[in-house]
Amino acid sequence: MESPATQNVLIVGVGGQGVLLASDILGTVCLGRGYQVKKSEVHGMAKRGGVVYSHVRYGTQVLSPTIEPGTSDVLLAFEPAEALRWSKYVKPTGTVIVNTQKRIPPAACQDRRPDALTRYPRGIEQALRSQIEDVRRFDAETLAFELGDLRMCNTVLLGALSRVCEFSAEEWLAAIEKSVKPRTAELNRRAFLAGRSVEFPCAEEPQAEELVFEKREAARDEAPFIEIRQNWCKGCEICVRVCPQNCLVMNGSKLAEVAKAETCIRCMLCEWLCPDLAVSVH
Amino acid sequence: MLDIQKYLRLEMFPHMLCPGCGHGIVLGALLRAIHSLKLSQDEVVVVSGIGCSSRLSGYVDFDTLHTTHGRPLAFATGIKMARPELTVIVITGDGDGLSIGGNHLIHAARRNVGLTCLLLNNEIYGMTGGQAAPTTPLGKISTTGPTGPFETPFDSCRLVEAAGASFVARGITYEPATLEKLIVAAIQNPGFSFLEIISDCPEFFGRFNRMGNPADQILAQKQNVVDAKTAATLPPERLKGKMLTGILHHEPRPEYAASYQESIAQMGAQAR
Repeated sequence: MESPATQNVLIVGVGGQGVLLASDILGTVCLGRGYQVKKSEVHGMAKRGGVVYSHVRYGTQVLSPTIEPGTSDVLLAFEPAEALRWSKYVKPTGTVIVNTQKRIPPAACQDRRPDALTRYPRGIEQALRSQIEDVRRFDAETLAFELGDLRMCNTVLLGALSRVCEFSAEEWLAAIEKSVKPRTAELNRRAFLAGRSVEFPCAEEPQAEELVFEKREAARDEAPFIEIRQNWCKGCEICVRVCPQNCLVMNGSKLAEVAKAETCIRCMLCEWLCPDLAVSVH
Repeated sequence: MLDIQKYLRLEMFPHMLCPGCGHGIVLGALLRAIHSLKLSQDEVVVVSGIGCSSRLSGYVDFDTLHTTHGRPLAFATGIKMARPELTVIVITGDGDGLSIGGNHLIHAARRNVGLTCLLLNNEIYGMTGGQAAPTTPLGKISTTGPTGPFETPFDSCRLVEAAGASFVARGITYEPATLEKLIVAAIQNPGFSFLEIISDCPEFFGRFNRMGNPADQILAQKQNVVDAKTAATLPPERLKGKMLTGILHHEPRPEYAASYQESIAQMGAQAR
């Protein structure tokens, strides 16, 4: 029979952020207390910023290695969109700890225009707060970077996690020292303590993200305008051939014509390579 | 966004160059370079000789001089000597600059006069109907060489470097942004700056040598060149038959017009 006090911690992020090492360290801490620990993880998506998650369950007796939706006590998210993706696993009374630095996946930014909107989810914070009581957001990556190494981000987040787990700082630090390379031990120790000392809600402007989106939306309305002076054009076809977005075509009278200005990325090749100075991109 | 129309004599447009002629691309790059240097239209003098490339001086709204065949550098030297504060840009072609005006070119380089010489190399005499120029590559067809010339073409950059120019570079019209930067660097160099620009002549060179339409021709340019910085890291067999682009030589030395003014001042002081 599984003990009712079994704790569930779900650690999620994208490839390369150190999700698996963080979950290993948590496992080591639990083992140090004499708990049973079971872990289940998906990796292999690690390259190219794919989804990585790790279920950690610990208690006096643990049977299943996976967490059921709606039962996780803590969600430790290395990335805001991943927090949203896994939020249904968390109890309404649980805790979510989120690193606020985004990793925008390639599939969400296929529009190559400079001011293009990404399809990255918006309003993540509100969505999380509406489902879960305790949402703790902070910029762990900048904190790690300021300490001297961006890769310490996972240790910083473990520091924040340590505030909601029952283990003492000494137990954590011993486990970290055991798991990391000796030459990074001191840096990891400082990163852990930095993460542990973050107070929530920490000072940040939750509106900033929305403002950026608004600004980008305004920029998007000003679509590029390609002007072709037909009486200057001699129909050499260079602009049509060099346009990477196929915005231009040759018309019936063998002159260049704008077919779809809305896909223009303002690379300026048509304007710069027009021998007749007939093209302007505004 | 820059509107280069303010530098143009709009009543002259559309220009007389053939469809797809690379010279128009150079004209655009030159105007953007002048704009980025924030030079006023009264500070710039554009001097040109005779030929397709030399037509460009007629389209720009600076002080311009369309001179005799092969002699733009001689006229420009005169302008620079009389008014050293002006930015003097010489636009010449491969025939104008290297054969008819070859001597003027090497002596302007030797004196290191503060001119910026853009040599637009389309590897043929375009205006007179496609005769072989001193830069026509071996085996390339022209009206005077139906089987291709058997004379070795000039490497104008090495020629001018040997003659003593303080700045030598080569650009291609397919890379207009790089070309603009090279023109800026050439204008900023106080001494004689020589910039060879590989341009296309779709009407004669391209047609005789079956190079496809103007777009095919400009897209093919990239195959024949290697950037000078990249070339330094490549084995010699990879560079065979390739032209080097980028800044090939930059070694500032005293400029002729400035030295001349100094010498006048010295002699004046002695006389007093």
